Amino acid sequence: MGVSVTTRALGAALGAIVGADGATDDPDACAAAAIDDRRPQWVVRPRALEEAARVVALAHDEGLAVVPRGRGTALALGAPPTRADVVLDLSGLDRILEYHPDDLTVTVQAGVTAGALAAVLGERRQTLPLDPPGWSERTLGGIAATAASGPLRARYGTIRDLLLGVRFVQADGVVTWGGARVVKSVTGYDVPKLLVGSLGTLGVLGELTLRLHPLPETEATCLVPLRDMAAAQELAARLVDSTLQPSRLELLDARALVASGLPAAAAGLVISLGSVEAAVRAQQAAIGAAAARFRARVETMGPAFWRTYDRMLVATGRTLLRMTTLTTRLAETVDEVRAALEAADELVITGCASLGALRVGVAEDEPRLLAKAIERLRAFVADGEGSVVVERGSRALRARVDPWGAVAAGPLDLMRALKQAFDPRGILNPGRFVAGI
Amino acid sequence: MSLTAEFVEALRAIVGDGGLVLTAEGRMTYECDMHTFYKGAPDAVALPTRADQVQALVGLCRRARVPLVPRGSGTGLIGGAMAPQGGLMVSTTRMTSVLDVDYANRSATVQPGLINLWLTNEVRERGWFFAPDPSSQMVSSIGGNVSTNAGGPHCLKYGITTNHVLGLEIVTGRGDLVRLGGKTVDRPGYDLTGVAVGSEGTFGLVTAVTVRLTHVPEAVKTVLAAFRTVIEASEVVSAAIAAGMTPAALEMLDEAIIRAINAGTGAGYPEGAGAVLLIELDGPRAEVEAQGERAAAICHEHGALSVSVARDEAERALLWKGRKEAAGAVGRLTAAYLLQDAVVPRSKLPHIMREMVAIGERYGLLIANVFHAGDGNLHPMICYDDTRPAELEKAKEANEELLRACIALGGSVTGEHGVGVDKAKNLPLQYAAADLNFMYRIRGVFDPDRIMNPGKLLPTHPACGEGFRPERPVLPAGTWV
Repeated sequence: MGVSVTTRALGAALGAIVGADGATDDPDACAAAAIDDRRPQWVVRPRALEEAARVVALAHDEGLAVVPRGRGTALALGAPPTRADVVLDLSGLDRILEYHPDDLTVTVQAGVTAGALAAVLGERRQTLPLDPPGWSERTLGGIAATAASGPLRARYGTIRDLLLGVRFVQADGVVTWGGARVVKSVTGYDVPKLLVGSLGTLGVLGELTLRLHPLPETEATCLVPLRDMAAAQELAARLVDSTLQPSRLELLDARALVASGLPAAAAGLVISLGSVEAAVRAQQAAIGAAAARFRARVETMGPAFWRTYDRMLVATGRTLLRMTTLTTRLAETVDEVRAALEAADELVITGCASLGALRVGVAEDEPRLLAKAIERLRAFVADGEGSVVVERGSRALRARVDPWGAVAAGPLDLMRALKQAFDPRGILNPGRFVAGI
Repeated sequence: MSLTAEFVEALRAIVGDGGLVLTAEGRMTYECDMHTFYKGAPDAVALPTRADQVQALVGLCRRARVPLVPRGSGTGLIGGAMAPQGGLMVSTTRMTSVLDVDYANRSATVQPGLINLWLTNEVRERGWFFAPDPSSQMVSSIGGNVSTNAGGPHCLKYGITTNHVLGLEIVTGRGDLVRLGGKTVDRPGYDLTGVAVGSEGTFGLVTAVTVRLTHVPEAVKTVLAAFRTVIEASEVVSAAIAAGMTPAALEMLDEAIIRAINAGTGAGYPEGAGAVLLIELDGPRAEVEAQGERAAAICHEHGALSVSVARDEAERALLWKGRKEAAGAVGRLTAAYLLQDAVVPRSKLPHIMREMVAIGERYGLLIANVFHAGDGNLHPMICYDDTRPAELEKAKEANEELLRACIALGGSVTGEHGVGVDKAKNLPLQYAAADLNFMYRIRGVFDPDRIMNPGKLLPTHPACGEGFRPERPVLPAGTWV
């Protein structure tokens, strides 16, 4: 560690790295960049990965806590930071570095938004099938760091399945690469997997190489309104245990249906299919036949539905819980959510029916009531080793209840050891990840 | 190294006499995997049946600082399951139980020694299968597949082993029995399952694997096309991918392999064929029909000598016949060969195939190819005469040159076989010192005493040593330092 230095000198050093416009200690700017009311001393916006690396190196040497940020759309995930000296704004790393349409791969800087990338890929009828709520405004680095996912995971998986290679900055500023630029590689350890969902606590993501998919020639979406959640679970199970290949298989409760502008029902499945036209039609017919067994009528929807749905998900709930449960317990879990949050109004429940991944939006933000409900739900899904994560919630709530829930002792030992190995000074996003990592 | 009498006694107490191989002849069986270049017999082999025995074995090795080498069926191709430093080998061949099949949650949990295909056989009738299908799937174990993150022909569409592993039970090098992941998705915390898959036994020993089951597709269509040259066929691969097709499998055989197959029972390939492409499509029937026609059209456009489409399962088996016999047929070409597993971006296939021909000519060596063209995963077999030592050296040089060419095109050292001892020295081609050092430190977290499968996966490189410090960015000079 260097000799003690003045704040002014550190500011000058940051400015020397990113340029005078790239670093600010302006009180308003720092207040605006506060994470859970914790105001940084500087907001630094590098324009190149090398600059980001030098900022992290300096912070490391001076013991400053670094909070990486993309577009700031998921900052309410995780516990309030224990320290935050430098907010490292990566939105300036916004270049698409290499796009190889013939290989279906792309390498982007971490600050590129999914929407900006989609615009470029669309010209070649290709797609990065990642659609977490509000996806088009979210950075790919942020989606990777938070392992955010959306309806398309039913078919394409999550960023875990699409991230081929990653360049990142270690806590001491060393720029490091893991993975490969090709679609298949097992050379060395799978470093990209370690970084996905690590919330910037092991390294700051700088560049991502991603696997792309061709856009289906034809897409169609339909709604199956159902009499209750149990029927929705059963129909979903039938569709999963079939040769159908849905791109999305979303479960919506009554409120979610209304909020998405759909006809009222107790529950609904919204299913999208992507393929050649004949295959889309054949699969729609099969869904119709399966729905008929539940005396349900399939309603076809326009292509704009998923944009409406995305907007609804973004707008729903001051508090948002991400829950996972066994798919065989979907309906039971929804019942339990309703019982646990009985006192809370405007509960909106959605999720991927084939994977048991639910989103619970609650208008309520009274911390005591929510904390109690969260603990109850955690106990409920524990049987199937499910989890309840506060994806969005007030600072007070996240101070009261661990937003991640407990991690079992065995894996936790390993996680702590990894953190100790790669960030012994605890400067990367301190306190925000599981168990205070 | 030799084991102490106390150590052997302790082994006996854990697995019993029947679970222990100590004789020289017995241990010899375990001295190599399918890469027979690399030999190293363990000093003892333990054959546990339960996780608690595995944990006791790891604990014993830790206390005595004895290297521990995990082994499944021994069908690996990288010298991963042999004991270069001796020590204890733990074979999972008696851990073959299917612990749980949960169709409703699309998952199964098995012991690591279970043969890959046995799982599919178990669930096929109900309409499911385990997607990773390495060519060895009739004999290789699921634990071994996890260890190497194995691929296979159909991983083009379905992804490799890691995309199908939901959870692991593992005894780490720290001696702890830990459960990672499980049937439900999105566990909070670091994705330890993800980083453990493909760690080649250097993190510990897997004692149970929870996998995702995949539903069988509605329809399968197989197209076989023959071309005059491998370059022409490579262009078809690039064109098919660029046209937005995602075949389940896209395999290529080159002229040397075709010759070898024709010298045997033959597979009905047309006269003058210098390359054969096998394109398999699966999914909804209407999609498969449309894509099949498109694939055939692309083949015709690129001057295919012949295009056959299988109409039923019997015809499909016939089209796959040559591909399945390819590895065996190589025996007709050569007594010995080096097998490569490098990957290139698939648009660079025509380029690398031209380069390969040139390298073969330059070294005067036959290079035969049967490989997963759709994801650019090459499997060149560099043939040499093993009665002439100089030929082996030539083959090694040609191998290195080819590998460098693949990396120069933006490729990877290994696509699905893994690193083991065979490719450890090649990692610096793909990774800088800082990258290797990062991996070395991950290993240290799971195996602080460095007893787990030593000498595998990472090279002996300065970056993989205790004192190494990667180069840091230069900070601006100023008053703050």
